[in-house]
Amino acid sequence: MHELFQKIIALPWDQAPQWLFLIPAFVMLMGAAAAVMLRNLIHCALCLTLSFIALGVLFMALGAEFVGFVQLLVYVGAVAMLILFAILLTPAGEVAASNNPLRNFKFSRAFAAAGGATVALLVLVSLLGAIFFSPHARAVVPPAQAAIAPVKAIGENLLNHTLLPLQATAILLTAALIGAALLAKEEKKS
Amino acid sequence: MNFPGSGIFKGMVVSAINLFGSYFDRAHAKRLITEQYPEERPTLPEASRSFPFLVFDGDPEKGIRCVACKICEKECPPQCILIEQDRDENGKLLRRPKVFNIDISVCMGCQICVESCPFESIRMDNIYEVSSYDRFDSLVLPKEKLLKSNEYYHSIHPTEAAETDARIEAARLKKEAAAKAAAQKMAAAKAAAEAKAAAEQSSQPESQA
Amino acid sequence: MNFIDLLKRIPEICKTPETLPLEGKKLILDFVTWLGSLVGIAVPPWVLTLVNILVVIVAIIAVFLIMFALMSVWERKILARAQNRYGPNRVGPWGLFQPVADGIKMLTKEDIVPRNADKVVHFIAPIVMLVPALILPVLLPYGRGMVAIDLSVGILFFFAVGAGSEVAIFLAGWSSRNKYSILGAMRAIAQMISYELPLVMSAVIVALVAGTLSPTGIVEAQGGYQFGFFPNWFVFTPWGFVACVLFYFSALAESNRSPFDLPEGESELVAGHLTEYSGFKYALFFMAEYVGMFAINGLLVTLFLGGYQAPLPFLTFIPSWCWFFIKLAFLAFSLVWVRATMPRFRIDQMMQFAWKFMLPMSFAALFSAAAWHYAGRGLLGWGISAVLVAIPYFALGYFCFTRHHSADNRRYLFSE
Repeated sequence: MHELFQKIIALPWDQAPQWLFLIPAFVMLMGAAAAVMLRNLIHCALCLTLSFIALGVLFMALGAEFVGFVQLLVYVGAVAMLILFAILLTPAGEVAASNNPLRNFKFSRAFAAAGGATVALLVLVSLLGAIFFSPHARAVVPPAQAAIAPVKAIGENLLNHTLLPLQATAILLTAALIGAALLAKEEKKS
Repeated sequence: MNFPGSGIFKGMVVSAINLFGSYFDRAHAKRLITEQYPEERPTLPEASRSFPFLVFDGDPEKGIRCVACKICEKECPPQCILIEQDRDENGKLLRRPKVFNIDISVCMGCQICVESCPFESIRMDNIYEVSSYDRFDSLVLPKEKLLKSNEYYHSIHPTEAAETDARIEAARLKKEAAAKAAAQKMAAAKAAAEAKAAAEQSSQPESQA
Repeated sequence: MNFIDLLKRIPEICKTPETLPLEGKKLILDFVTWLGSLVGIAVPPWVLTLVNILVVIVAIIAVFLIMFALMSVWERKILARAQNRYGPNRVGPWGLFQPVADGIKMLTKEDIVPRNADKVVHFIAPIVMLVPALILPVLLPYGRGMVAIDLSVGILFFFAVGAGSEVAIFLAGWSSRNKYSILGAMRAIAQMISYELPLVMSAVIVALVAGTLSPTGIVEAQGGYQFGFFPNWFVFTPWGFVACVLFYFSALAESNRSPFDLPEGESELVAGHLTEYSGFKYALFFMAEYVGMFAINGLLVTLFLGGYQAPLPFLTFIPSWCWFFIKLAFLAFSLVWVRATMPRFRIDQMMQFAWKFMLPMSFAALFSAAAWHYAGRGLLGWGISAVLVAIPYFALGYFCFTRHHSADNRRYLFSE
């Protein structure tokens, strides 16, 4: 008993954080898979939220606290709620079988599966290519350096090097917001 | 002074005055008027009433006023009264109840039994702590629990009890007077009859003569 | 090391109240080491790290749950007094054990799940509600060096984790299969998203001035005294005062408290997303609401009221962690005071208040803070920033919230 206890203690627990990332990774993949496969739309959205959270945790485990928290704030706090609201506010949508022209096609399921697989494969290939062939992929950044003052570094980068794209995005979002408000108002009058 | 948001400050001040005032302004009747019930009991107004009870004079067995006439049982709107007349050993009905139950879970305190009783025997009580753990039996008050003395009646509703006593006394006096009058009448009639008889006796010889 | 030495350290620790919690934690760690030596094992450092984490977690959860229990009775007492009643005074002295009675009642109640409810989601919702609420307090600096996790992005952490409660409210409302539940949940989420903007904006202002997102850094930035007696708290600057008030009202709305408690408006929505919850699950929601309320007010103390700093120089003999909790208690009291005073908003008024008043004011406070910073943070900056927040305040107050037409020229409809 005592020996067992000592053996357990002697295990390399100090390295635990290095493989603990498997847990959020697993949760994220499961959440994503469930989001695709479940029948109930709300359940899908909730599983997607779970996968967002796990992704944020993964960022934090890699030392990118800022990105992790922004992931939580934006995706869980805003995007997930937006998706849920969109599902709730759109008229309940089981598309009638006869209305769907693709349904009556003979090998529709097979074609759909093939199309989906092709898109997924293309995305995967392009991502892998981007990762392996980009010049930054080879440069190994020591993790200590990444954690020093990421917020300040990100802020300075945003407001110095990428100021123009940032402002352009801001204007685009504002325009979208105003447009949405206008649309909502028009609907109310009629 | 009026500026945007000033109403909030006014409201906050009012609630703060009440909040702290309730600690310091205790004697003031306007604050903390809550009665701390089990420790402080309310002084009930004289006219307060809850459920009926039966009045007796002197002894609960002999002095019971109720004669089991069953008027209240018939009058009771929710029908919460149950009366059985008592019998003696020969099976002859007696003028007193054997069973007198009032189901106070049904009673609505309307006082119609009191109004309808010709013998002033049922009156309204002012008890209020009658809750129990049992929904049925302990809320049906039997005769033993309903019987309460006239002195108790005087202690809870003095004015009304005095009126009742006066009425009973008046009725008694009237009855006595009636009895007396009847006796007198009887006596007078008797006397008249005797006188008549005497007169007849005395006049008969005359007519015969 | 032996046990007697450990015991001897206790009175020493108590002599210096300022560092009492920290030294107490060290004592527990030494106790664990002593336990290890008793068994004959050299305790490895990761065990000590784990114990350290557990001690902090247990301490924070215990403190916040005790505060929740006390607050639930204190709130009822204050509310009662404001309405000239006595409030709970039956259980224990001054009704102090009322939470115990409430807890027993809650725990022994039947846990009802509606037949058509989504049972898994209905079960998960209270947990999802409570977990973020209990995580939030870890980042608050309770005293000098007393912070569970000294995150460089602490403020962001707060809002990121706080977003979880919105999801929980949605889960609760949707899974109940009750129209009142879903309406209440939609209202709650709409309200929380609307008020998150001024909330985050006013926190951003402080981050801008303090130059850091770390709560400890923000508290340190408010240290010291102007003219030797006037504390350098952000609430005592014009922009800081405005941002503090905005943060306070947004915090009220975020924690669904009166006057922003219309997701639970009894008259129209029964109990909102809590309609179908009973017993222990309801208690969990209640607990999460209160712990979240304490956490967000703790953040307010950190951001604007100088955190653990003493208000006057000669009061520094009181330990810093006491100051934090004194300020938190004052805020908790003020919440109940507000609840005792103000009636519930109407939904359109609430939205109008958020978008037409709070948001523009938070932008005004942002500009004002920038002006204060560039004018040298002195009296000149003070004056400029005061003007910069006063003008928008009166303009908004006049144009948005003053009735420009009297009751006379109201047009009556045919039905009237």
